Amino acid sequence: MSTLHVVFKVAGAEYAIPASEVLQMESFTGATPVPGAPAHVAGLVQVRGRVVPVVDARARFGLPPVERTLDTRVVVGQLGSRTVGLVVDSAREVLKLAPDQLQAPPQLVAEQAQGFVKAVARVGSRLVMLIDFPRVIGEEKAHGD
Amino acid sequence: MSVDLADFLPAYLTEVEELLGSANTQLLALETAARQRSASPRTVRELFRALHTIKGLSAMIDVEPIVSIAHWMETALRHADQAGGRVPEASIEPMLEGLRAIEQRVRQLAAGKPVSGVPRGLLDRLESLDTAERGHSGPPASPVTLELEPAVASKLSASDREQLLAGVAAGRRALRLDYVPSADRAAQGLTINTVRERVSQLAELVKVIPVAGATPGGGNLTFALLLLTSAEDSALLEAVGGAPAKLRPIASVAPAVPTSPPPTGAELLSLEEEGLAVEPRRSGVLRVEVSRLDDALERLAALVVNRSKLARAVAVLTAAGAPTRDLVQVLQENARQLRDLRASILHLRMVRVGDVLERLPLLVRGLRRASGKQVRLELDVGDAELDKSVADRLLPALVHLVRNAVDHALERPEERRAAGKPEEGVLRLACHARSSGRLELKVSDDGQGVDAAAVAARAGVPVPASSEELLELMCRAGLSTRASVDTTSGRGMGMDIVKRIIVDQLGGELSLETTPGKGTTFCLRVPLTITIVEAFVFESSALRYAVPVSAVEEIIEVDTASLVHPPGRADGGTAMLERRGQAVPLVALERLLRRDAGRESPGPKAFVVRQRGMPLAIAVDRLLGQQEIVLRPLEDPLVQVPGVAGATDLGDGLPTLVLDLPALGAARGTPRGGVA
Repeated sequence: MSTLHVVFKVAGAEYAIPASEVLQMESFTGATPVPGAPAHVAGLVQVRGRVVPVVDARARFGLPPVERTLDTRVVVGQLGSRTVGLVVDSAREVLKLAPDQLQAPPQLVAEQAQGFVKAVARVGSRLVMLIDFPRVIGEEKAHGD
Repeated sequence: MSVDLADFLPAYLTEVEELLGSANTQLLALETAARQRSASPRTVRELFRALHTIKGLSAMIDVEPIVSIAHWMETALRHADQAGGRVPEASIEPMLEGLRAIEQRVRQLAAGKPVSGVPRGLLDRLESLDTAERGHSGPPASPVTLELEPAVASKLSASDREQLLAGVAAGRRALRLDYVPSADRAAQGLTINTVRERVSQLAELVKVIPVAGATPGGGNLTFALLLLTSAEDSALLEAVGGAPAKLRPIASVAPAVPTSPPPTGAELLSLEEEGLAVEPRRSGVLRVEVSRLDDALERLAALVVNRSKLARAVAVLTAAGAPTRDLVQVLQENARQLRDLRASILHLRMVRVGDVLERLPLLVRGLRRASGKQVRLELDVGDAELDKSVADRLLPALVHLVRNAVDHALERPEERRAAGKPEEGVLRLACHARSSGRLELKVSDDGQGVDAAAVAARAGVPVPASSEELLELMCRAGLSTRASVDTTSGRGMGMDIVKRIIVDQLGGELSLETTPGKGTTFCLRVPLTITIVEAFVFESSALRYAVPVSAVEEIIEVDTASLVHPPGRADGGTAMLERRGQAVPLVALERLLRRDAGRESPGPKAFVVRQRGMPLAIAVDRLLGQQEIVLRPLEDPLVQVPGVAGATDLGDGLPTLVLDLPALGAARGTPRGGVA
């Protein structure tokens, strides 16, 4: 059974997340910073009247920040009762991925990626990394109360 | 009187408002009954009681016009009551007019304005109802008498009797059905509860009276079911499991009495007393002013702040190597208790959706008359509840949607007939609580559907491809979907207002489903609770923030020249200012927010807050104003940070942080950079 995935780019690399976990995609016009939140949290945005925290994928992946462009997107994901956005460089493609296209990430890759990469998909000659969305979003509290 | 009036007025207003709501509902029920020519003695009595109480309360605060109107309506109802609960259809309109007149005067009282006198014509009309009804209350229920053994008769209330007599007068049979419970029957699933259910399908169950005494089966309890029915005896007997059940008539029509005796003083008095006794209509219900609940919430907030102080103190102890394991456990327990307490206080603010929608039937009735369309309103709201503040905001949006549906969506009877639909349009309002802490409301009509092409043409854009786009278009300010040639109301749809309320104010969602010729459904999802606070909105380092007014002790101008800088960190650090003989520390908001890079001096305004009992001044750049904001708590753990109470929408599309300045000061204002 192949399933639909949303493909997005961060620093030239391609990532995918099951479309069933994606609520919607929004263009990014800036977020309200939340002082004291973890460093990878870009802030708050409003999506259809709801206030949603957004995570900066670059910050999360340890990549240098870049200027936001018109291509910058917020991938709004639904994790159980949580709604959280992920700011990515661009997101334009939807792909069907079949199980036989997927393989576990090589161990060295898995270690370096802190568990953010669940699997690697071969799409023609491209390699697309399936991310572990809950882990990327994280549950770190800002403050260990 | 004037001394007590002010104290009594708020209670008077809430009570009368509630009574008026119920009176409106009863009167509409009576209208339906009148149209079907059926009797509804209970409703007449309820309405009588509501008016009687309004009259009594109004007499206490000496509002003569309301007393008079209520009095004459009461009189008309007394005759209706003596006529077995029948109100002539012609009496409904003057009585509705009466209720409206009372409402108007209550509003004047609420606004502190002088109360207008009674419209002369109205009193005449109400008074003439009296004589008119006296006239044709001629052959009422009096020739019918009830035959019951004293043990049963003594348990019947006056209104039970009325109901039975009225039923007989309306041509149904009044019967007593005896059901004898036994272990065998219970084993077959036949208990008094199932019997009630089964009998209710065949008859109107007026009363169930347990009668003690030996029964054929060797038991000692019989249930006497008093009912009104047109069903066959055999069907009824079968419903209670056959013999030893018994059935007998309890009413007989006496040979016609030539003239019914006029009501005696004693009878009138008994009705009057019943009205006066106004037993709590919903027993165990307490009316509480919202401000008192808010007060309780505020105290709770103080507890929460205190707890976080405690938690920090414990953290310090732990860091110093003290044995704090037990203390930490107690703290955790305490956190849970606080959460529970908060939940119960919030629960106190919940109102039933059904009560909120009480006025809609009246609205639809008015629209029906104004538009000449036939509309049936179906409410299916169950016992869902909503926070009072959400309910208050939601109602105008629902009123808009209902008005739109009748004005624009539902067709005239002849158009409906031509389209093969029943002449009477159906407007349905249903709601369900969702697990996500949201309430879903659907407003549906079986009208003509939204004409997407017409909407697009008016907006001057291509026809929208999806219902979301269509809704978006309809919600553009000032857009009307009515072709101008047949505009009668001349007003826009007001959908922009609906969207503003549902999406912007309440943080809810709005969606639309429409099928040409079949109908339209608006789906509203709103949070069950919201918190509304009065807040100062201000700017600092080009970002906007809000802070609850209740947290701010004073707003002061910062005179940079007279600031005293203690030794140590000079730039952006803590300074001191003198306020009423006291040294008050002043810290820039940016420093508390850890965003003070590049900031040279504190802003020119400062909020003075209390932190651990001591004043603290927090400097900001510019005060933008004071307004009510809807506080949306930040639920995701990623953004739950001390000092940030939540976010709000000031209309610029970006969330604005609502700061909890005392907590912010406590969390980060501590020396040496705090313990964040």
